[in-house]
Amino acid sequence: MRIVIGEDDALLREGLTLLLRAEGLDVVATAGDPDDLLAALDEHRPDVAIVDVRMPPTHTDEGIRAAVEGRRRRPELAVLVLSAYVEQAFATDLLAGGAHGLGYLLKERVGRVGEFLDALHRVAAGGTAVDPEVVAQLLTRTRPDAGLDRLSAREREVLELMAEGLGNSAIAARLVVTEGAVHKHIRSIFAKLDLAPADNVDRRVVAVLRWLRTADGR
Amino acid sequence: MRATLPAAHPGGDERGRAPEGDDAGGDADAHRQDARGGDDVHGDGDRDQGPQPGAGAGRGGGGDGHGGSSGRVSGSGSTLRLRVPVLHPACCPPQVQQAALLAPSPHQAPPAAPRSAYGRGVTPPERAPAAARGPVAVLRSARDGLLRSAGALGTGGRALLLLLGCALVAALCVVGVGLLLVPAAVRALRRLTDAERARLRRWGADLPPAGPAPAGLRPGVAAVVPREVAWLLVHAGAGLLCGLVGVLLPVYAVRDLTFPLWWTLVPVADASPWWWAVRDAADAREVALLGLLWAVLTLTAVPALGRLPGTWGRWLLAPPPGTDLTLRVAELTASRAAALDAHVVELRRIERSLHDGAQNRLVGVTVLLGAARRSLARDPAVTDDLLEQAQSAAEQALAELRSVVRAILPPVLLDRGLAGAVSGLAAACPVPCRVEVDVGGRLPASVEATAYFVVAEGLTNVARHSGAGAAQLSLRRRGDQLVVRLVDDGRGGADPADGSGLAGVEHRVRAHDGRLELRSPPGGPTELEVVLPCGS
Repeated sequence: MRIVIGEDDALLREGLTLLLRAEGLDVVATAGDPDDLLAALDEHRPDVAIVDVRMPPTHTDEGIRAAVEGRRRRPELAVLVLSAYVEQAFATDLLAGGAHGLGYLLKERVGRVGEFLDALHRVAAGGTAVDPEVVAQLLTRTRPDAGLDRLSAREREVLELMAEGLGNSAIAARLVVTEGAVHKHIRSIFAKLDLAPADNVDRRVVAVLRWLRTADGR
Repeated sequence: MRATLPAAHPGGDERGRAPEGDDAGGDADAHRQDARGGDDVHGDGDRDQGPQPGAGAGRGGGGDGHGGSSGRVSGSGSTLRLRVPVLHPACCPPQVQQAALLAPSPHQAPPAAPRSAYGRGVTPPERAPAAARGPVAVLRSARDGLLRSAGALGTGGRALLLLLGCALVAALCVVGVGLLLVPAAVRALRRLTDAERARLRRWGADLPPAGPAPAGLRPGVAAVVPREVAWLLVHAGAGLLCGLVGVLLPVYAVRDLTFPLWWTLVPVADASPWWWAVRDAADAREVALLGLLWAVLTLTAVPALGRLPGTWGRWLLAPPPGTDLTLRVAELTASRAAALDAHVVELRRIERSLHDGAQNRLVGVTVLLGAARRSLARDPAVTDDLLEQAQSAAEQALAELRSVVRAILPPVLLDRGLAGAVSGLAAACPVPCRVEVDVGGRLPASVEATAYFVVAEGLTNVARHSGAGAAQLSLRRRGDQLVVRLVDDGRGGADPADGSGLAGVEHRVRAHDGRLELRSPPGGPTELEVVLPCGS
């Protein structure tokens, strides 16, 4: 897997590079600002770009904008966005253009190397990875009468894991239940939320998030 | 006009004590001031204070700023500023002013009345410092009296000229031509009264400027308050006289006290400063005796003479109650908005420094720890290296947190008070900086914090942009105001608009209902003066 890293903090950039190379991944270039990042994306044509949200010069959302631009130039580019804090607007902006090959994680998740690598591989393979924190925030900010309260506690758990981008078998492993049980829960969730069930992981996440967004009153 | 003199010149030592050299005096001063601050400025306690909070992104560098410059802090009056070109023989030697620092601040008697209630029309007179508070207080009040007299002389002279001009205009009005000149006279009167208001403000009076008089005959005349005319009459006579006597007394004192010297060195046939001719040494000594009388009068009467024009100024130049309240409400509204703005800017700055600093370092720690755990099974040698890096990243995070905390409210301010805190800043400044602090006890915390940031930012600018070889910092209590002055001999041309951090300082000062004046002509020197009200 060929990776380009866009991160303005030198220590973090080095740390990430070190970590990924130790895992046998191919970090082909690193960049400290959006221009360098776009140049590196053009030059190395990596599979995945790992991008920090805040980058110079204004340290607001340059990273996201660079990532969006990179995707515009090469739609097959997978992007994993790292952020220091949860910003729902970033998540929805990112996912608005399709959740294919996209991830949005809090920076500290990188320390849980196993989960981070899972998410990275999932995104590189065209899947989705959304930070549990983001999902939790989306869920808590949803209006109570929007239908979520009809879900059982277990179904809610399943929905959260779905929203993170996990597949059925991963959800089953996380909850220590059989895949069949997970399947049943998901069908029940879609039924309660009036959504047509689908097997595609991306479409499930997009459906879940889109529903959450509209339920959020926006 | 201002002249800055090193006070440690031999002539200033009237008490028979060996004059201290500039540097030696500086060191002694610093230590004595430390004693007052309760700790040693150069002690270890201060070394870990690290970068200056006002230095914005100043990170790292903790404890490296104290190099060769720390010995340059001087506690107090190694300098004396005179605003008139008169060399006063009573230049305060450093050790004398030092005594003022150690003593419970003789000069700074609390104001007799609380800060004037605006709209009452009259501001309370400052309380005269009691004469019996020691030689330093006497010298200082004599110096202030001299400075005030010089100011009164200036406005008094202008008042007399204007009065004559007005008389001429009035005479011309009889034949009709003068009516055309009335608006000009009115505008001149307003300019003069505003100059006097500004002068009295510098001495702590609450006299907001009235603003230029409107053009045109009718509105112009309507704008003139009869009390301003009354002031003109009084000030053209009594004010001018007070100023003249107040300035001449010390001049005569110097001339006559040193007369025997001149008489011996430059023998003139019939030299006579007064009405008798001086023919021998005894005559010359008589002149010196007279000089002694002038000197005594200078010390006793000049302070009162200097304050006298202020009494009718405060009375007659105070704004009419109604307009003043409106003005004040507008001012307070603006300063409140500025306070809110400054608050948001400050929060933004804190958020940014937390995010860019400590948070990123901690993320780095988690990444490195994660990598270390993964490598534990594979390659333990690498693990140690990663843990080492993680530890140093955690230490950096702590350093960042410390600097952020300091920037919010410097703990040193709490521990040492303003005097100790700004001395620490000056000691850390690479440009040698003399410090003179006389604020008399603690001030309200918000005032101390603002003053601290003013000084921190000012010194940062001196160090970064001015190219100065030396700087002088003074913090004084004047009535119910704190006056912070920072002067450097650098290249000047400072402009709050060019992002040097001065705009932020100005914002903060305005938020405290204070004002900031910056005089920085190209080529220097740069003079920053900030006045903060510290009444309740």
